[in-house]
Amino acid sequence: MTDSTSLEEATEDNGVLALEGVSRVYGTEVLVRALDDVSLEIRAGEFLSIVGPSGSGKSTMLGLLGVLDLPTEGAIRVRGTDVTRLADAERSRLRGEAIGFVFQQFHLIPHLTALGNVETALLYRGLSPRERRSRAMYALEQVDLGARHNHRPVQLSGGEQQRVAIARAISTDPGVVLADEPTGALDSQNAEKVLQIFDDLQSPERAICIVTHDLHVADSARRKISMLDGQIVADELLGAGAGS
Amino acid sequence: MATAGLTARKVRTLLIMLGPILGVSAIVAAIGINESSKGHLKAKLQELGTDLIVVNASAGLGFGQDPVIEAAAVARVGRLPDVAAVTGTRQLSDIVTVPFAGAEDYYRAFPVPVIATGTDLPHTLDVPLVSGRFLNDFDEASGARVAVIGRDLADEYGYLAGEARTIELNGLEYGVVGVLDWVLLEPSMDSAVFLTFTAAVNDWNLDDPDPSRLYVRAPEHTALVAKEIPTVVSLGGPDGANASVPTDLLDAQSQVDESLNNLTKMMGGLALIVGGVGIANVMSISVIQRSSEIGIRRALGHSRGTIAVQFLFEALVVGVFGGILGALVGAGVVWGVASQRGYTMVLSVAGLVGWALVSVGVAVVAGLYPSSKAARLEPLETLRLG
Repeated sequence: MTDSTSLEEATEDNGVLALEGVSRVYGTEVLVRALDDVSLEIRAGEFLSIVGPSGSGKSTMLGLLGVLDLPTEGAIRVRGTDVTRLADAERSRLRGEAIGFVFQQFHLIPHLTALGNVETALLYRGLSPRERRSRAMYALEQVDLGARHNHRPVQLSGGEQQRVAIARAISTDPGVVLADEPTGALDSQNAEKVLQIFDDLQSPERAICIVTHDLHVADSARRKISMLDGQIVADELLGAGAGS
Repeated sequence: MATAGLTARKVRTLLIMLGPILGVSAIVAAIGINESSKGHLKAKLQELGTDLIVVNASAGLGFGQDPVIEAAAVARVGRLPDVAAVTGTRQLSDIVTVPFAGAEDYYRAFPVPVIATGTDLPHTLDVPLVSGRFLNDFDEASGARVAVIGRDLADEYGYLAGEARTIELNGLEYGVVGVLDWVLLEPSMDSAVFLTFTAAVNDWNLDDPDPSRLYVRAPEHTALVAKEIPTVVSLGGPDGANASVPTDLLDAQSQVDESLNNLTKMMGGLALIVGGVGIANVMSISVIQRSSEIGIRRALGHSRGTIAVQFLFEALVVGVFGGILGALVGAGVVWGVASQRGYTMVLSVAGLVGWALVSVGVAVVAGLYPSSKAARLEPLETLRLG
């Protein structure tokens, strides 16, 4: 999708991820409705942010968008397939293929090198070790860390660790990268660098979705979804797209 | 990459391997030592023959004297129909033996048994001489100061085959005329000095040339002969004797060894089970510690099955290496014990492989619970979002 395309005009076939009337209720005795009848479509090429205060339901939404959780009601579609009807193995496969994750706490595996961490995302995909290695190296080079592929997380700075996490997320060439507070654990300089990388990574085939409570980060996207009390309260286009 | 979780935490991996290692090594060692000693015992039994009877004088009604068997009784035993050979011996006391004059200070610390014996001891025991000759009838008749020494004593004194040499018994010089080979039945004879009864009476104040022990060879009806001997010795008189067939004792000893080995095997089995519980325990803790890793793997598209297989694989690796190391340690123990006791090492390769496989089985079964626990972890529970 380009910035000039309105949301309504988007065709269905370029939707990579969609929530349809999704609700998520936690608890058994005391019920907490963290997400209430939410619908959202993320299309290829989009750079969007989901913003909202604590408790607004954005983390729940991220879990559902990433197929890490299943809704109490509604459907999650990944490339058109309702994943709530799939078995775990199939759902996991689809998640691995279509979605890349970047977390606030990086979540790198401490005993593996940067290259090993990126390769983890490429396991069980029928790739030869050589192919896996070359794809992981390519991803690390895209975030400017090719030279440090042999370093373990403890030998890298916070900003570098987050870049390794980004390389891991893009190594599988997913349709959408979901980032949870990706700059939350970084200083402003590294945060800017990471946001710049996200901006560079956006392509007509790949959507970037950042979940944040930081308005500055949220405003760096082209589309901003605002949440409150488990519902989407605003869905706006920013920058060049805002005028359309 | 699949074993990175194990290699990253080497000490913990080694600790969880200890269970299988201890279990398998204990079982392999118990079985190996048992088999080796059995083999050794069999060889020993074969060598000794199962037809040798040992008769010990027992205290009769005599007071204050060491029990002996009268020379006449020895002759009676020799006349029994199934007896092929009989030799009497008597151990003398309070004799300090040294290889040469002036060596007392060094050699006094090593007591050397001095045994008065009949001249056909090698024949009765079926033990050859390493060099020289045994005591003969001339020595017996003349009371000559000649001695035969055991093979270990010969080594200890640095005796060379054929060497004309004397040893000192309480200052009396005896000429060494021969060296007796190892006596499996009586290892104490290997470091003993043998004299004739005449020399014992002449030089060592023995009242009469009566033995306190008889060695009897009875190729036929051995058990029956052993049963008859006490009666033949005592003839209803006060002198008693106990007859036993040492090979029977060895057999009984092997039975005792068997029970001990069964106990060791059971303890090995217990160690394996405890090792399995240890694996399950440590891996369960490992699952909690690695929950973030599991969460991220799930997020990256690894299914529950993949996660379970990864942990099972780690358990398998622990089992395989624990089993192999345990088998090697067990084999090492068997080798050590066998070489120390002079056994021929008996180890079945199939047994080693079998017990290593049991270790693998125990580890995999132990890994089932932590694996399923890892697979059940919800990624959202382990990856703190927002």
